[in-house]
Amino acid sequence: MSKAMDKKEVIEIIKKNLKENLHDVDVDAIEPTSSMRDHGANSLDMIEVVSATMRELEIRVPRSELSQIENIEQLAEKFIEYL
Amino acid sequence: MHPDDLLKFSLADFTYNDSPNVMDPPQDFERWVGDPRIGMAMSFFEQPLQGAPTPRMTLRQGMSGENRQMINLTSYNYLGLSTHPEVVAAAVEALQTYGLGASGAAMLSGTFDQHQRFAEELAAFKGREACLLFPSGYAGNLGAIQGLLQRGDVLVIDSKCHRSVVDGAKLSGAKMVSFEHNNPASLDQMLERHAGKRRLVVVEGVYSMDGDIAELPDILDVCESHDVPLYIDEAHSSLVFGETGKGLVEHFGVEDRVGVDFGTLSKSFGGIGGFVCGDANLIQYIKCYASPFQFSCALPPAVVAAMRKALEVATRDNSLREKLWKNVNHFRSNLEALNLDLGGSRSQVIPIIVGSSGEELIQLAMAAQQRGLFLQPIDFPAVEAHARRFRISVSSQLTPEDIDEAATIIEDVIARPLGLVGAA
Repeated sequence: MSKAMDKKEVIEIIKKNLKENLHDVDVDAIEPTSSMRDHGANSLDMIEVVSATMRELEIRVPRSELSQIENIEQLAEKFIEYL
Repeated sequence: MHPDDLLKFSLADFTYNDSPNVMDPPQDFERWVGDPRIGMAMSFFEQPLQGAPTPRMTLRQGMSGENRQMINLTSYNYLGLSTHPEVVAAAVEALQTYGLGASGAAMLSGTFDQHQRFAEELAAFKGREACLLFPSGYAGNLGAIQGLLQRGDVLVIDSKCHRSVVDGAKLSGAKMVSFEHNNPASLDQMLERHAGKRRLVVVEGVYSMDGDIAELPDILDVCESHDVPLYIDEAHSSLVFGETGKGLVEHFGVEDRVGVDFGTLSKSFGGIGGFVCGDANLIQYIKCYASPFQFSCALPPAVVAAMRKALEVATRDNSLREKLWKNVNHFRSNLEALNLDLGGSRSQVIPIIVGSSGEELIQLAMAAQQRGLFLQPIDFPAVEAHARRFRISVSSQLTPEDIDEAATIIEDVIARPLGLVGAA
């Protein structure tokens, strides 16, 4: 995975994985400032989305660093730290 | 994974196995778990007790491998019934009569007269029409929720509900969503979002990692405004809360407003198992579709006989409950004097919240163990990463001297190093 990836691209990957896990979510309606929970994700869904995105980005971010992240944009910023 | 980063990782980071062969654990797991610092943290798991779970007991310590006499602040034996002489005598007598195991699933050959009587007695105790026994608390929530829900339904749970509730949702096929802990407005929002679906709300009486209690009247108001039933898990509150020990529903006087009343038998009852109480036709229905009930061997009859005695001992008067609450208040006042962060605890479960450093938590835990306290650290992901903690389970069996000695050790090995009292 390219290290030149920017925040917008990481957000798109998160959105794609959210769609794959929740099925009934409208990707175009997902604002970066919203949380996955706002779109109906439960804790198990969020684990799946985070795992799938980290695999795609080929990074490993400790889960303990994600526990206070509040929205998709903050999650993308945390992932970028590890790219 | 760089060695310097190893401590940032936790058990939450290895659930996905990236090895091509299912027989191989994840590539980094072995390196992580083999690190001596992680080994120190893991040494707190499965430390074998060398005797009964009483306040003074012998533990084989994970790190040293040596036996040591400890003050036990960890066992769930809240009312001391696991070792109550009458309970133990009932078990011994029943063991002579019934033998060791039930030798069958409850539907076929595993139901004994002891099981039937205990289910009737539990239903009567909880003021419900019927009760169904499960082989464990985990199996009980799993089975009851599976029996109640199906694909297309929505399970709305408090965000701090136990894993057994989450896994029950998975097994049932229902969609699971959570609302903010103890927040009626958040619950209202979730119920509104899933209006039109068959929904069930689940809360716990006492939350096991925080010791706080469900705000039942407010939560019930929201449930009733959406015409959605409430399922309460009184694992830690049965026999502890309420004038006669029925639990939090009795504490708040809302028995008639709760749809399903769940409990476990491994905490105050001193045994093992789970039980679900409700209307007779509902219990009959759950019984037919709860896999953990149908496909598990029934509880050992001698254990059931002993738990019947435990229920009798705990409800013939309030003496054990009163002793427990006296101990809770004594312990709390000692801990409050040390300026420790006890979260929102309002029960016999008292956390000591240390903070965000897992390394510090384990160092404090080692010091506590070396001073003779059996006080387990609770690390992420069992609790939030910013609120790692110890958890005290108060028992009615503790003497005032036990509590004062334990508090002195906590002052020396936790409060002082954290800078909460005096010089470190």
